[in-house]
Order: sequence, then structure tokens, then C-alpha cells
Amino acid sequence: MLSYLIRRIAIGAITLLLITFVIYGLIRNIPGTPLTVNMAESDPSKELSKERQEQLEAAYGLDKPWQKAYWIWLGNVFTGDLGTSFSHNKPVLELIADRLGPTLLLSIPSLFLAYVLSIPMGIYCSARSDHVDERVLSTILYMLYSFPSFVAALFLQLWLAVELEWFPLFQMTSDNFDELTTFEQVKDLAWHAAMPMTCYTYASLAYFSRFVRANLQEVLRQDYIRTARAKGLGPIRVLWHHGFRNTLIPLVTLIGLTLPSLLSGSVIIEQIFSWPGMGMQFFLAILERDYPTIMGLTLMFSFITLLSQLIADVLYAFVDPRVRLESK
Amino acid sequence: MVEDSANMKTESALAKLPKSPGFWKETWHRFRKRKMAMLALVYVILMAIVAIFSPAIVGTKPVIASYKGDIYFPCLGYYSPRWEAVFTKDKFRKVYPKNLKEKDPDSWAIWPLVFNDPHRRLEENEWPGRPKNPQNGPPSSDNFFGTDKGRVDVFAQVVHGTRTALLVGFVSMGIASLIGISMGAMAGFFGGWVDIIISRIIEVVMCIPTLILILALIAVIEQPEIWHMMIVIGVTGWTGIARLTRAEFLKLKQMEYVAAARVLGVPQFRIIYKYLLPNALAPVLVPITFGIAAAILIESGLSYLGFGAPPPNPSWGKLLQLGRQSYQNWWLILFPGLSIFVTVLAYNLIGEGLQEATDPRLREGGSRE
Repeated sequence: MLSYLIRRIAIGAITLLLITFVIYGLIRNIPGTPLTVNMAESDPSKELSKERQEQLEAAYGLDKPWQKAYWIWLGNVFTGDLGTSFSHNKPVLELIADRLGPTLLLSIPSLFLAYVLSIPMGIYCSARSDHVDERVLSTILYMLYSFPSFVAALFLQLWLAVELEWFPLFQMTSDNFDELTTFEQVKDLAWHAAMPMTCYTYASLAYFSRFVRANLQEVLRQDYIRTARAKGLGPIRVLWHHGFRNTLIPLVTLIGLTLPSLLSGSVIIEQIFSWPGMGMQFFLAILERDYPTIMGLTLMFSFITLLSQLIADVLYAFVDPRVRLESK
Repeated sequence: MVEDSANMKTESALAKLPKSPGFWKETWHRFRKRKMAMLALVYVILMAIVAIFSPAIVGTKPVIASYKGDIYFPCLGYYSPRWEAVFTKDKFRKVYPKNLKEKDPDSWAIWPLVFNDPHRRLEENEWPGRPKNPQNGPPSSDNFFGTDKGRVDVFAQVVHGTRTALLVGFVSMGIASLIGISMGAMAGFFGGWVDIIISRIIEVVMCIPTLILILALIAVIEQPEIWHMMIVIGVTGWTGIARLTRAEFLKLKQMEYVAAARVLGVPQFRIIYKYLLPNALAPVLVPITFGIAAAILIESGLSYLGFGAPPPNPSWGKLLQLGRQSYQNWWLILFPGLSIFVTVLAYNLIGEGLQEATDPRLREGGSRE
């Protein structure tokens, strides 16, 4: 077990190094630097003088070739310094921390909801297999599963915000947020979060419940289920005790693998709802050529992705005694 | 004599035996039984027809025109301006109905089913008796899906947008399959170091969030064209295909017939190509089909964010972006949104149909045959 973990961590570190190297090379080769992009946008006449630009480039480390700059960045990362954002003039870590809240506000409840709802739905679909109600539910779930979330977001806005005016169109808070009492603030936040949260939830809900159903049906085809039925056990007991418990294994792994989506947010959904989260920040950082922020976010995303894969594998061995983690 | 006739008998008996269906035929047979998947296949074929014939369905350029004694196909100008070079030279300025009559009274033309243009606004009386396109007009008998703020017809853009969607889906997944299948085949067949290196590459590509990698790659290209976008989607979307191909190859290379081929001295490349690939291909079709749906989604998402193909390529995502700028023009969101949804749904249904048709565990009659 220990040697397996060490091996996996070593491989993960190499992968992380490769990813950051590739992304660093990529973004440094995007035409335009943070200096030129900002200036051109605000006012063309305010263009920096050549000396000033060179001065700034030296200060930001843009005068060095990217291969060299990468190693400097990496060295700083090991000392816990992710650099300072160009466009926000703020340490990248602080910037990420600011954006983390809004993203978690959407992702945690929606993931929780999706899990809580999908398990009974999946079991129900398995139990009522080939009945009319199951067909209807499965078809609806399949439609939802195929419904692109950004299209759904726009449709929801059209219907619930523009047509019925039930929910605010976008943004995280109302303009008078600071004047509200705490209770009203919470209500205001929930009001604004409802639509984006729906978009996050329905997609994973459809995916998870189809996942539960597929796994349960696979289990129900096994011999021991037939044995259980032959013993004269009731359908509910067979389904719950002998069937569902065995589908927990892939479900647990799935929890591990959904971890990154908790933090990453969605670029398009956050853009549609003007939600100040991680996805939105990434999009802005690319537009502004904010290299340290892009790198900080990339590092975080890939670290969490790799970590969640490792957790998923370890959990898998943990819940399923048949699986042994050994280095081959 | 006796032996001969006996031989003949067995031969004729063998000939009478029904030939056992090949893997592909069997897959098709099982796929055909799934009504929804077949319906989706019909939809996709219909969409392909709409895409190919889009200039003949909606356009302002005649499908066939006789002009100064020659026959032309100006509608193909939507594909390449070379097809309307004659008319450009004669200063038609893309306005056909009036100019054709004025410059050659004997000319005749067969027009597209709907007269409207996906790239530009329609002016008054461009088509005899037709008013000009309204600005932000709701759906009407002249503009089925309404018009945008530039007075361009939305129906024409949706129809011509199918071309973009179809092209992006097929070309980018073509690239992804080429990379994915060859990488996966190499990793699965050779094993050892090749496998370790390729598996690492797959892991690296998989760990970078797709949209971020694509945004960065597209931003690197100074003036991205639709081809660049397809290549970028292709080179980022091959990992699932590679993993599945690798798994199939790992499984197949243990089979006796492959060992027999090796003993017979068949070259390695030929074993990969002739012995393994045809058998590994059917399951690999599943991620490819899902990949087409994903590619269409990514394209419309990128176009929505403003990173899409430059004008004049009409795209469903671009219409959504226009719609988000002014929500009261609901037709800019509803129609392209539904097009994206139905198309993605169709490819997903086909993918699932294929999955169930190629997965032996899901065959009727249980898992043990």
C-alpha cells in the first residue's frame, strides 16, 4: 500500500510538472502581453513609452525567455509564492481565495442535491424496469443528460427571469446588498443562486442517476441475486441489501472523481450568470493575459484532478476488499 | 468418383449453411432494433442533407441560373467565391434577382426554397414585393425565426449553421480518432516503455480542463479560422478514444489467432492493421460518436464566448451570444438552442445504441451464451 502510494505520488508530481510546463509555454506564446493588452483596451494614446515598457517587463519577468521564466515561477511555487496578478495587483492566492467562495456556494449544494436525489431515482428506475413510469422518468433523465447546460441556462433566463420575472437575470447579489439585514442577505443570495444552481444540479443529477441505474442493473444480473430471489427474499430486500450495497463501490469512486468539479466551476455558466467564480476568473485571466493567475489556477485544477484520481483509487481498494493496490 | 461426389456433397451442404454474420453485420442488426437510436440516425442523416444543401434551402443566390447563354450554379458561392466569379465581375454585388433581369433579359434562374441570406441583411424589393428585413424582428412569414439586430435572418443562419456544426463534429473527431486510435494501438500492442510514455501523455492531456486548454490554444493563433478550431478540438479530444483502443488491444493481442499470426511471421504493422484494428474498431465507435456531440457543444460554447470561427461562418453559438445581449429577442436563443440540444441528443442516442449493440454483456438472452 505504502509503496503504491509513493509510486503514484511520484508519477503525479511528474505529470503536474509536465502540465504546468506545457501551459506556461502556451500562454507565454499567446500574442500580446499583459502590458499591451491592458493599454490598448483603455486608451491607445496612453501607450507606454519603450523605456517604461522595458522597465515593467523586467519587473514582471517578461524579458526572459519563457523556458527560463518557467523555472523561476516553479522555484517561487515551492516557496509558496504563486506570484502577483498583473491585472488585479493582488497576490494570486488571495485572488483565488476570493473567487472560491462563490464557486463553492453553487457547487456544494448542487452536488449534494444531485447525490441525494439521484440514488433513489436510480433505484426506482431499476426496480420499475420496463414499466411505463420508469420509461417516462428514464426518457426525461436522458433528455436532461443531453441538454447542454449553457443552453439550459439561457432558456432558464428567458423563461424564469425575463418572462415570469421570478428570479434575477444575473449577478450574485442585488445592488443594495450592503444595506440589507443578514437574513435578507441570505435570501438575496439564495434568490440569485437558484438558477445557476439548477443548471449545475440537473446535469449531474441525470448523469448520477443513470450511473446508479446502470450499475444496479449490472449487479441484478449476477448469480447471487438469483440465489437471493430463489431463497424467497422479498424484492425490496433483494434490491436494497443484495443489490444496491454492491453498487456503492463505483458510486464511491465517482464521488472521488467529481471533486475537481466542485472547485473548477464552469466557464460558460459563470459567464452567463455573471457569477464571480473560478471559471469566470480563468476566462478573464486569459483575456487579460494575466500569466500568474492562469498558472495559479491551472496548478490548482490539475493538482486537484490528480489528487481526486488518487483518492478514487484508494477508496476503491478501501471499500472493495477484492481490490489490492500493489505496484506491479 | 465416389469420393468426388462426396466432396461435392459436403461442399454444397456447406454452401447451403447460412453464413454466420460478421461482427459489423451483427452490430448493425442489434443497433437497428433500437427505435430511438434509429430515429436519431435518421435525424443525423437529415441534418447532413440540410447542411450539404443549405445554399439551396435558404439563400439569395440562384441554385441554377442561365446567364448570357451559360449555365451557372451561383448558390455554390456560399462554399467558395470562385463559383460566382462571373457575377462578381459583372458587378452584381450579391443582389441577383434584379441584376439578372437587367443585365440579361433572357436569363432564368431556379431560386432556393427560402429567399434570405445568412450573412447580410435583405433590402426592400430585393425580391420583388418583399419588404426589407426588420431590425430585431420577431418570427414572421418572411423571417421564420426572426431577425437579429443587424437585420440578418435567423432562419438562414440556423440552416447554414448546420454546416458548421456538422463539419466541426466530423473533422475534429476525425482528427481525434486518428490520434487516439494510433496512440492507443501503439500503447496496447507494444506495451512496456511505449505504453508508459503514451499513458503519461494521456494523463497530462486529461488533467488539463478541456475548455482551458482549448481557449489557450486558440488564443495562441492570431487569426483563428474554423479549421484551426477543428484541429484544436481534435488534438484535445482524443484521450477517451486512446484509452479504449489501448484496452481493446491489450485484450485482443492475447488471442490465439494473433499468436498464430506472429508464429507465421506476419509483420507487426500488419498484425496491428489487419488482425487487431478491425476487431477493436466497433467499441471505439462509441466514444467517437459521443465525441462528435461534445465537439459540437464545444464549438457552440466557444462561439458563444466569442472565441469561435470568424465571420462570415454562421454558428449556433454566435446566435446565442447575440441573444444574451438582448433577452427580449427570445428567438435568438430558442431556435439555435433547440438545434444544439436536438443534435447533441441525437448523437448521444446513436452512441448509446452503438454501446449496447457492441457490448456483449447487454445482449438479449443474458450474459452467458
